[in-house]
Amino acid sequence: MSITALRVPAVVRQSHGLQRFMLLFGFALMAMFIVVAVFAPWIAPYDFDAVRDAEGVRFGTQQAPSAAHWFGTTVGGHDVLSRVVFGARTAVEVILLAVVLSSLVGVPLGLVSGYLGGWLDRTLVLVMDALYSFPSLLLAIVVSIVLTGGQSSAFGGILAAAVSITVVFVPQYYRVVRNATLAVKSEPYVDAARVAGVRTPRILGRHVFSNVSQSLPVIATLNASEAILTLAGLGFLGFGIEPSAAAEWGYDLNKALPDAASGIWWTGTFPGLAIVLIVLGVTLVGESLNDILNPLLRTRGGDENDADEVAELVADDVPVQEARATADGERVAVLSLRDLSVSFRTDGAPVRAVREIGFDVAPGEVVAVVGESGSGKSVSSRAVMGLLPDTATVEGSAVLTTPGDEPRELIGARASDLRSVRGDEVSMVFQEPSTALNPVRTIGWQIVEGIRAHRDVSVAEARKRAVELLEMVGMPDPAERVDHYPHQLSGGQKQRVVIAMAIACDPDVIIADEPTTALDVTVQASILELLLSLRDRLGTAIVLITHNMGVVADVADRVVVMYRGSIVEQAPVDRLFAAPAHAYTRALLDAVPHLGRENGPSPVVDSEVVLDVDRLVVDFPGGFGRPTFRAVDDVSLQVRRGEVLGLVGESGSGKSTIGRTTVGLQQPTSGSVSVSGQQVSGVSDAKLRPQRRKFGFVFQDPAASLNPRMSVGDCLAEPLRTQTDLAEREVRAKVRQLLDDVQLPGDYEGRFPHELSGGQRQRVSLARALALDPDLLIADEPTSALDVSVQARVLEVFRELQERLQFACLFISHDLAVVDSLANRVAVLQHGRLVEVGPRADVLGSPQEEYTQRLIGAVPVPDPVEQRRRRAERSASL
Amino acid sequence: MSSAEVLGQADLPSSGPPTSDSTPRRGRLNPLARYLLVRLALIIPMMWVLVTLVFVLMRVIGDPIQAAQGGRLQPDQIAERKAEAGLDRPLLTQYFEYLGGILRGDFGTTLTDNREVSDILVQNGAATLELTVYALIVAFAVGVPLGRLAARHRDRFPDVVLRLGAILVYAAPVFFVGLLLKLAFTPFGWPSSGRASTSTELALSRAEGETHIMLLDAILHGSPAMVLDVLQHAVLPAVALGLLTGGVFLRLVRVNLLQTLRADYVTAARARGVSEKRVVRKHAFRTALVPVVTVMGMQIAMLLAGAILTETTFEWKGIGYELSEYLVARDFLAVQGIVTLIALIVGVTSFLIDVIVALVDPRVRF
Repeated sequence: MSITALRVPAVVRQSHGLQRFMLLFGFALMAMFIVVAVFAPWIAPYDFDAVRDAEGVRFGTQQAPSAAHWFGTTVGGHDVLSRVVFGARTAVEVILLAVVLSSLVGVPLGLVSGYLGGWLDRTLVLVMDALYSFPSLLLAIVVSIVLTGGQSSAFGGILAAAVSITVVFVPQYYRVVRNATLAVKSEPYVDAARVAGVRTPRILGRHVFSNVSQSLPVIATLNASEAILTLAGLGFLGFGIEPSAAAEWGYDLNKALPDAASGIWWTGTFPGLAIVLIVLGVTLVGESLNDILNPLLRTRGGDENDADEVAELVADDVPVQEARATADGERVAVLSLRDLSVSFRTDGAPVRAVREIGFDVAPGEVVAVVGESGSGKSVSSRAVMGLLPDTATVEGSAVLTTPGDEPRELIGARASDLRSVRGDEVSMVFQEPSTALNPVRTIGWQIVEGIRAHRDVSVAEARKRAVELLEMVGMPDPAERVDHYPHQLSGGQKQRVVIAMAIACDPDVIIADEPTTALDVTVQASILELLLSLRDRLGTAIVLITHNMGVVADVADRVVVMYRGSIVEQAPVDRLFAAPAHAYTRALLDAVPHLGRENGPSPVVDSEVVLDVDRLVVDFPGGFGRPTFRAVDDVSLQVRRGEVLGLVGESGSGKSTIGRTTVGLQQPTSGSVSVSGQQVSGVSDAKLRPQRRKFGFVFQDPAASLNPRMSVGDCLAEPLRTQTDLAEREVRAKVRQLLDDVQLPGDYEGRFPHELSGGQRQRVSLARALALDPDLLIADEPTSALDVSVQARVLEVFRELQERLQFACLFISHDLAVVDSLANRVAVLQHGRLVEVGPRADVLGSPQEEYTQRLIGAVPVPDPVEQRRRRAERSASL
Repeated sequence: MSSAEVLGQADLPSSGPPTSDSTPRRGRLNPLARYLLVRLALIIPMMWVLVTLVFVLMRVIGDPIQAAQGGRLQPDQIAERKAEAGLDRPLLTQYFEYLGGILRGDFGTTLTDNREVSDILVQNGAATLELTVYALIVAFAVGVPLGRLAARHRDRFPDVVLRLGAILVYAAPVFFVGLLLKLAFTPFGWPSSGRASTSTELALSRAEGETHIMLLDAILHGSPAMVLDVLQHAVLPAVALGLLTGGVFLRLVRVNLLQTLRADYVTAARARGVSEKRVVRKHAFRTALVPVVTVMGMQIAMLLAGAILTETTFEWKGIGYELSEYLVARDFLAVQGIVTLIALIVGVTSFLIDVIVALVDPRVRF
């Protein structure tokens, strides 16, 4: 509980309303009991086992409350008030001891077991799970019998009770800490520390424990309340503290039980109330802490850091002007937005996500809404559908005009009116098909539900229609698949189901929110094709929200560009790409890498081989009853000094596994990996440690690749402190120089990762990987979580450093255009096998293998003319 | 639809990424069978660990005879008692005999009244089962609808009251609630101890084909008065124990429902124009139940511990009541047997819970 005390002010500041009241009330109750416990001898009128007053006169048994005995006397002739007061002392002592003892045992066990894994972990999990599943009271009884030998002894006091309870709660600490350790262990920043050769105890302390420890106050308080209840239960069954040793509420309640039948209420009610109040206090604190600290239950303001970085790109002198909708064509818009604004209430200041935007969508038209993260493109479409959370305030107008109906205003419409529009006239396709489908219902059930929400048809008819729809979206075996659950389908198939639902009621408008972002390029191509063919056949208007300029060039008729909540430009697609009017649009288009038009470096010749991967095979065991999964299958490749090898492939092709194996984060099943002539694979961790200074690793997720509790300076210094004997002054100088290398100001040293934007974090990550001047750098999708303009900046920094430092680099990416812009050579991977490897211009320019051709053909380039040509070519060949 | 058919080939699972989450599983075993076998394989060692732990604690560290009689008997008398119970033999022999006994359903014999511990299961197990079932009914009836109510009115009046109520119920030990119920109801002559009136109990114990499940026996006996009597006796214990678990259910249902109500597929259902009522009932609720059922499995242990205290409070003659009697009598051979028995019950129920999870969650079944 001392941990809690330290964090109190911050926690109280984070709370509000009822939460704060509960927290403060809980603290007040806890404080009251602690005061009573400490000053018990002065507060209580008599000793806890006294039966006579100062004059030696007996109190008498079962006396009703009076001036001499405020709470009356017990069946044994004790003063109830005194016993309740001294009981508080017993309770507080036992809880403190139990919480301290059980965390002292449970926390280290959980840390070590979770981090090291192996047989130790499996054994501990088995034992702890067994203990956990067992009724805690029984366990405490058994331990208590063993400890006290079943007889009165000096040991039968507070310590014995505390130890009995400790055994019960060790598994809980263990489980929580182990699970948290497992979660933290797989975070990239822990991998980064391992790659830098940091030793296990330090990783456990600096990286794992500091991040796990925030859950401890919650566990400690919640366990404390259970500890009191267990202690009282033990006492109630006659197995707690010996009645002669201390006053204990549970024991008193047991003695009071027969009194209840004869209407003597005071003997049981007061000790019982004392238990309720102390448990209430501790629980309220624990619950509110949990509520406040649980990020899942919090409302937060948006992350504006990235927007700031993008702002660097846009010339400040260009005013962000509102571009009005241009009247293209005579058709009546089916959906028309005017002056739409959205703001969110947050724990901090309100956030304005969308500012007075307006655009029209005509029937049969594809309007692409593009912008980077935080530009408000998704929020505006959800506002139209009335799907924003309660914290949002929406102003302005969105008018839906469908044939045969009066124009309808959607903003501020009644819930029932809006409901009849949703899915019927306007429907949505979501970004992540695996979360947009209910996992416990069949896909048929979900399609039928959508149909029957709007059409008065029987289940059988709706089901027939569902099968038709599945067939229409190109689902194989629709009659059978209709009864499948989502997890039985592949990602692309799930997205087809989501689209089938969207077209179930022949909507006039489909809002597709990043419909292909979660999918591989070849699947993306087929999904886009499907959307276009539906538009052609059904005349549906499509609002396509995307950040991918290639997709825009491929399918859009008109483009709306959003930046920080406003529309900066809207134009027909050809004009936008040929002559962008706004500075932001120009910056955006410049930042997009263009596959086939990049002039990346030529192959490096005659330099020594740095990374040599020879016939590498990596298997993952499939678990009980499942086949082994071969992630990497007989892959050989080499990277030379000064060379960048782009390793490309779709998800699950094994490219990340190769990257992890080359730095010893994953052991190969067979084959070998060596760096600068030294074997890396199959080497013990201790032997590998001195080798680690030869390679660096940049991870994909900028949010997770830096330890949130370490400053930027500490992050950068860690590999230096681990691997070199540099003096502190030299370390600091090197850190400054690294920051300078990645073009960050020197005072960023003292900042914490959450104060940085995604792009800045990724630059710090790059600096950390280069801290030891490695021979080899592995970059695993270093920019795929970033917006294009931010990506351009990071890649620029990367290119400059690579040219200067001449390290060998294995650059892993799914983005062929990015690889095209910076790799000397390219290797293409499919299902763990190497399909093709060679100089960049050859592999990406004139691919020999059918798979590479298909992959390249599926990547949409940011050029509408080129995309139209390709599309025409494709339909001609069919 | 020829173009879509052609393009449809691109994302077939067979050619798609072979990761486990995006491909249909291609196990050699039926997934449900595999799941249940894995659960079973995990539960058997768990039960073994538990019974071994009980043995180690009670026999290796402690000594039941010494613990029970130490200080009251002379050392030679204790040695004699030990030899009688076979406790003077090598520990390993005793351990294997103990394990063998468990496999045969023999949990040892009590010291004080020479009763087979397995008889306690037969005679008193039904009472505990009955109480647990009643309590579960109360807990469900209270926890699930109120949890839903609290989630739907998050941070508004009903939610605040219900959450505070749930914490209060949790904070009150079950024997204190029992005591308050007794204080409140005995003045009205409401029965507050035992499973039935003495006359009913006598009549039922004489009846043919006794099931030991009092309610069932009373119904079989065909006397409405007796059924009513049995039900009346069950009310207070069931409420005391059921409220405790009901508070836990309420909080579980609330939190899980709040989380599933934020899920993408709930938004997707709203975007299809599904009514809000149906969204909560058909989409959020069922997925929210999966973790609830899992945690409920862990609650069985808590419920059993609660049953011990409740039975003692209401003189409800179940396994827990017997346990506390033997505890008072310091009969640790009986305690060891009963604790072992409960360990097995915990193991079996957690397996049953796994089966229920499989029925609720298709991701486990297929």
